[in-house]
Amino acid sequence: MNRAVLILLVLLLACGSGDAVVIGSKNFTEQDVLGEILAQELEARGIPVERRFHLGGTFVCHSAIVDGEIDLYPEYTGTALTAILKRAPVQDPERTLGEVTDAYAARWRLVWGPPFGFENTFALVVRRADAESLDLRTISDLGPVAARMRAGFGPEFMAREDGYPGLRRAYGFEFGRILQLDLGLMYRALDQREIDVAVANSTDGRIDALDLVVLADDRRYFPPYQAAPVVREEALDRHPRLREGLAALAGSLDEAGMRALNRDVESGGELENVVRAWRERRVRQREAAPR
Amino acid sequence: MGDLVGYLRDHAGQVAGLTVEHVTMVVLAVVVAVVIGVPLGIAATRWRRWERVVMGTSNVLQTIPSLALFGFLIPVPFIGGVGARTAIVALTLYALLPIVRGTHAGIRGVEPAVREAGLGLGMTGGQLLRRVELPLAAPVILSGVRVATVISVGIATIAAAIGAGGLGVYIFQGLAMVNDTVILAGAVPAALLALTADALLGLLERRITPAGHADRRVERRPA
Amino acid sequence: MYEIPDGRTLFDGLSLSVRPDETVVLVGRSGVGKTTVLKLVNRLLEPHGGEVRVAGIRTTDWDPVALRRRTGYVIQEVGLFPHLTVAGNVGLVPDLLGWERSRIVERTAELLALVGLPVEEFGRRYPHELSGGQRQRVGVARALAADPPLLLLDEPFGALDPMTRFDLQREFRELMRRLGKAALFVTHDVREALALGGRVGLLTAGGLAEIASPADFVTSNHPEVRALVGTLDQTQNG
Repeated sequence: MNRAVLILLVLLLACGSGDAVVIGSKNFTEQDVLGEILAQELEARGIPVERRFHLGGTFVCHSAIVDGEIDLYPEYTGTALTAILKRAPVQDPERTLGEVTDAYAARWRLVWGPPFGFENTFALVVRRADAESLDLRTISDLGPVAARMRAGFGPEFMAREDGYPGLRRAYGFEFGRILQLDLGLMYRALDQREIDVAVANSTDGRIDALDLVVLADDRRYFPPYQAAPVVREEALDRHPRLREGLAALAGSLDEAGMRALNRDVESGGELENVVRAWRERRVRQREAAPR
Repeated sequence: MGDLVGYLRDHAGQVAGLTVEHVTMVVLAVVVAVVIGVPLGIAATRWRRWERVVMGTSNVLQTIPSLALFGFLIPVPFIGGVGARTAIVALTLYALLPIVRGTHAGIRGVEPAVREAGLGLGMTGGQLLRRVELPLAAPVILSGVRVATVISVGIATIAAAIGAGGLGVYIFQGLAMVNDTVILAGAVPAALLALTADALLGLLERRITPAGHADRRVERRPA
Repeated sequence: MYEIPDGRTLFDGLSLSVRPDETVVLVGRSGVGKTTVLKLVNRLLEPHGGEVRVAGIRTTDWDPVALRRRTGYVIQEVGLFPHLTVAGNVGLVPDLLGWERSRIVERTAELLALVGLPVEEFGRRYPHELSGGQRQRVGVARALAADPPLLLLDEPFGALDPMTRFDLQREFRELMRRLGKAALFVTHDVREALALGGRVGLLTAGGLAEIASPADFVTSNHPEVRALVGTLDQTQNG
């Protein structure tokens, strides 16, 4: 009798862990933050969660969710459209979201949850001193001086068609020297004057911290990159409360808010605590808001 | 396989450029390591205290994981920062051990009787080194250089993470894009580089082995 | 021409001098310090008490390199340079001294002929292609290359088979007679000592027990000398 109970317990436990929603994220801070936000939201609804953050680039996460190794990760509509679906970029955010939603559902049975509320676009950044002395406000302004500049890009931006190759074609200039760098080294290199221009995320906390200037995408080369969760349909079926969890996060973050969270984590805050604090602030705001 | 050949052909110019960057880093690093390492190895054979210091330091350097060493060097003034120079410094440090060891072993391998005869005939330390010890040690030293070179070709692929270029650029791009062809486009030429260096240096090693030295095992003929 | 009144604590009160054209052979057991005596002469070792003089000057006052260039050195293991040919080995010291190439070639041929290894046949061979006896001949030729007035030999024939040893001993005696050089030879083989030495000395723990011409050595009354000479008879009878 005792042995039977033991076996049953073991089986139950095994089932339990197999039931967790596996949340992945790409290899930069904002993704970890979004991943943690998703995780705590689901846990608050009693859904078991397994965190597998910092997996790799876009394509690593995409392969993982298609293969079922993860169930959920935060993606950007523009990235999905141009890099994964390899379609021509569309300027309208709504249309972009619509296209990717349809395509993902049809090809891979993946569902796009409601957007978080901000866009994170590729940002070409330069030091403020250079922006002022060279009169740089838009990407086109780089044209005349690009040949004299050293650029630092991550491997993904170098390889993606909607990365540097496309940028070069859209704006018609090339940088004098290009260093392919690990993302983690980018800001340091820019700050230390080892490179003159870098490609960053527009919501990076360090843009403000290092007093960098984001150059405007005047030719509208980069598509809209709305941040939203992508989830496996079968995970939604397994966990009825998953959908409502995702809905609860709709529009919960604007660009400033995202940048602030990024900054908090990058300046040494513990990921879990930063997100927990943010959740608590939200609760208080909601309670304080007039009914 | 066909994909790889096609990719290499389509990007031949870029592959060539990356290969040149890769080779440049390795060659510079090995040359500097020889210039520093051979004298250190010689010093290690002369003075007991030096021996401990030199062998100990190169051993420790070898145990530092390569990516970590690159990371340590970046904040260092003058030799640090991103780019090829930092990579070359790191590669040089890794190349030191095989070369120092090779020099030390090669010179130690010279028979004591030969050294004693040389000194007894009135050769100065410098003459003994130049005319007897180094020529006899040369094959073993070169074998150390060979090992150092092959190791460097491999470690240099990691240099791409810190902006040094080289064939690692493709490897990291391939990793980010989950594209095996691109990974191989970096890895296969790098492997071929290592094999070629090994073969060429091995040939050189055989050619500089002093005629008498190689056949010491041969039985002597009666008078 | 050279004298050693004293040495390391291996022995003290060793007093010996070698005349310009004589061969002095020192015998003794293994470990008694025979090699040490030689190394004191060419300053591979320095005395801890007393002095060693070569050509009247203390070894410690000599420039070591200059000293060794005028004292030929032949050791048991020979120590030929394996990466050089026979001719290369013989010609190395003259080359270091800056001799002209033609003079080196001439001298090499002369010396190799002297030791019975004509240069046409043996000059281009490498040490590993030679027999033990041939190698030691080259060793002797090499030591003589710069025409040193004094030869130091440390059991040079000890590693050779008896027949080869016999040949080389004979040739050595002939060579020394012809060249008229001074030689200090150490060995543990008393028969060899008696055959080669103008004077033979017994080296013991304390120092030089006895030194005399072979004839006098054999008939000496010194107990240790008698014991040593006694071994000769035993091997003959046994």
